[in-house]
Amino acid sequence: MKPLKYLYDWIDVRIGARDIVEKELTGYLLPRNINVWYSMGSILLVIFSLQVLTGILLLIHFVPDADKAFTSVSNITNNVPFGWLIHTCHAVGSNMMVLVLLLHMLSVLFMGSYKRPRELNWLTGFTLFTLVQGICLTGYLLPWSQLSFWATTVATNSVNAIPVVGSFLVEFLRGGKLVGPATLGRFFALHVAVIPVAIAALVGAHLFLLQRTGVSTPPFGIKDSSNPWKGDTYRYEEHPGGIPFFPNYMLDDLRSISIYLACFLGVVFFAPHVFFPATAFLPANPYLTPAHIKPEWYFLANYQTLKIFPSEIIGLAIQGAAMTFLALLPFIDRGAEKHPLKRPVFMVCAIGGLLLWIGLTIWGHYS
Amino acid sequence: MENDGRRNFLGICLGGLATLAAAAVSFPVFRYLAPRSSKVTNGKVTILEKDMPEGEAKFFEFAGSSAVLVRKRGGELTALSAVCTHLGCIVQWEKDKQDFLCPCHAGRFTPEGVVISGPPPKALTKIPFVVTNGTITVG
Repeated sequence: MKPLKYLYDWIDVRIGARDIVEKELTGYLLPRNINVWYSMGSILLVIFSLQVLTGILLLIHFVPDADKAFTSVSNITNNVPFGWLIHTCHAVGSNMMVLVLLLHMLSVLFMGSYKRPRELNWLTGFTLFTLVQGICLTGYLLPWSQLSFWATTVATNSVNAIPVVGSFLVEFLRGGKLVGPATLGRFFALHVAVIPVAIAALVGAHLFLLQRTGVSTPPFGIKDSSNPWKGDTYRYEEHPGGIPFFPNYMLDDLRSISIYLACFLGVVFFAPHVFFPATAFLPANPYLTPAHIKPEWYFLANYQTLKIFPSEIIGLAIQGAAMTFLALLPFIDRGAEKHPLKRPVFMVCAIGGLLLWIGLTIWGHYS
Repeated sequence: MENDGRRNFLGICLGGLATLAAAAVSFPVFRYLAPRSSKVTNGKVTILEKDMPEGEAKFFEFAGSSAVLVRKRGGELTALSAVCTHLGCIVQWEKDKQDFLCPCHAGRFTPEGVVISGPPPKALTKIPFVVTNGTITVG
């Protein structure tokens, strides 16, 4: 251990490493009533890192050319050593990222952590949610399978409902009148360069805001002697007598991450095709539309909403209104109370909205 | 003291588990990135003798690398590795001078692969070949 201590001392006298550790790790105190839902952000950071790592590995063998994309993905899966593992981890990981992100947002909603002074945390988080949906949508096309080709056709076509500029936007998104090689090129660029950089930047902003405002106090369990924001001036929400982040809460985080990894690897090894119908394994054929083409599970509610309204523009407007309402929620729900059972209007709206979303998703799946 | 002992023990267990997990992840990643053994078709390349006029050289892929077959003026055949022994560039056949030039650092070799000038430390590696019924079999 002596060489490590020597190295630590060597760094410390130069950059004050002990001060940083004291301020950001051992002296960084969290509320005593903190719970497991606070680990969702750490799990998401792990998932994003794994997606970046597996994505870089896939880039080594993937060919972003409409004539070669499907063959290159087949080659990764069937011929490259452990290519099946890297590919499955990336594909399953994208679904898990959306799932955990939804759980993270739900926990923030029910514990009232979006409330002031954390409006900016919510806004950056909500933007991250839309970017994650964007990165999933653009990545979905890349294997150039029947599923990816036709799901992208349906998804991009929904933009057509926007009055006046709809048809232009569809053509602009696709790089042509139909989904084709030009679509693959622009979706590839968005998927591997533009959106990941935007996500990384927003994650940085999200963490910076968390660091500046301090961790929110959960509305459950024992009372925390925190120092809440009053609105008069900037105040970091301290938790005197709280739990140190390192090593105490980091171990809790590690436990949650391990449980997530166990679930993730369970899907990868025992149900790798749970997210993929048979059409995901057929090469794209622009002249043969498969029956009952559906988007990914997290877009099924949007898909069904568009179907149930006689006019697509109404369906699109309702979705836009719902998303805007959610994005601006901290500015609409301005009450100080955070306990969900003491917020009956919120509870009715949140549970009703959640049930509606689940219902539309199931309806979309079986429709 | 008892707590410290327990803490150290758990720390060692966690460290061990983390090392095992890192090894379990590293192996597939290493295998994924490692170059795959090139399938050499029984290590032999065949060229028709009539395709090798005097004073000409023919470059081809041999055992996952580059090789060259040269027929000198006078008819004598030589098969060599085309990889320069200096820094691994591929040599070029200079028909007018009847020698090999490495364009990277101007190393020169005779048609037999012997160094004439420049930085290459040793001759080009010779490759065995046989000629039967008008067919040259290299390797």
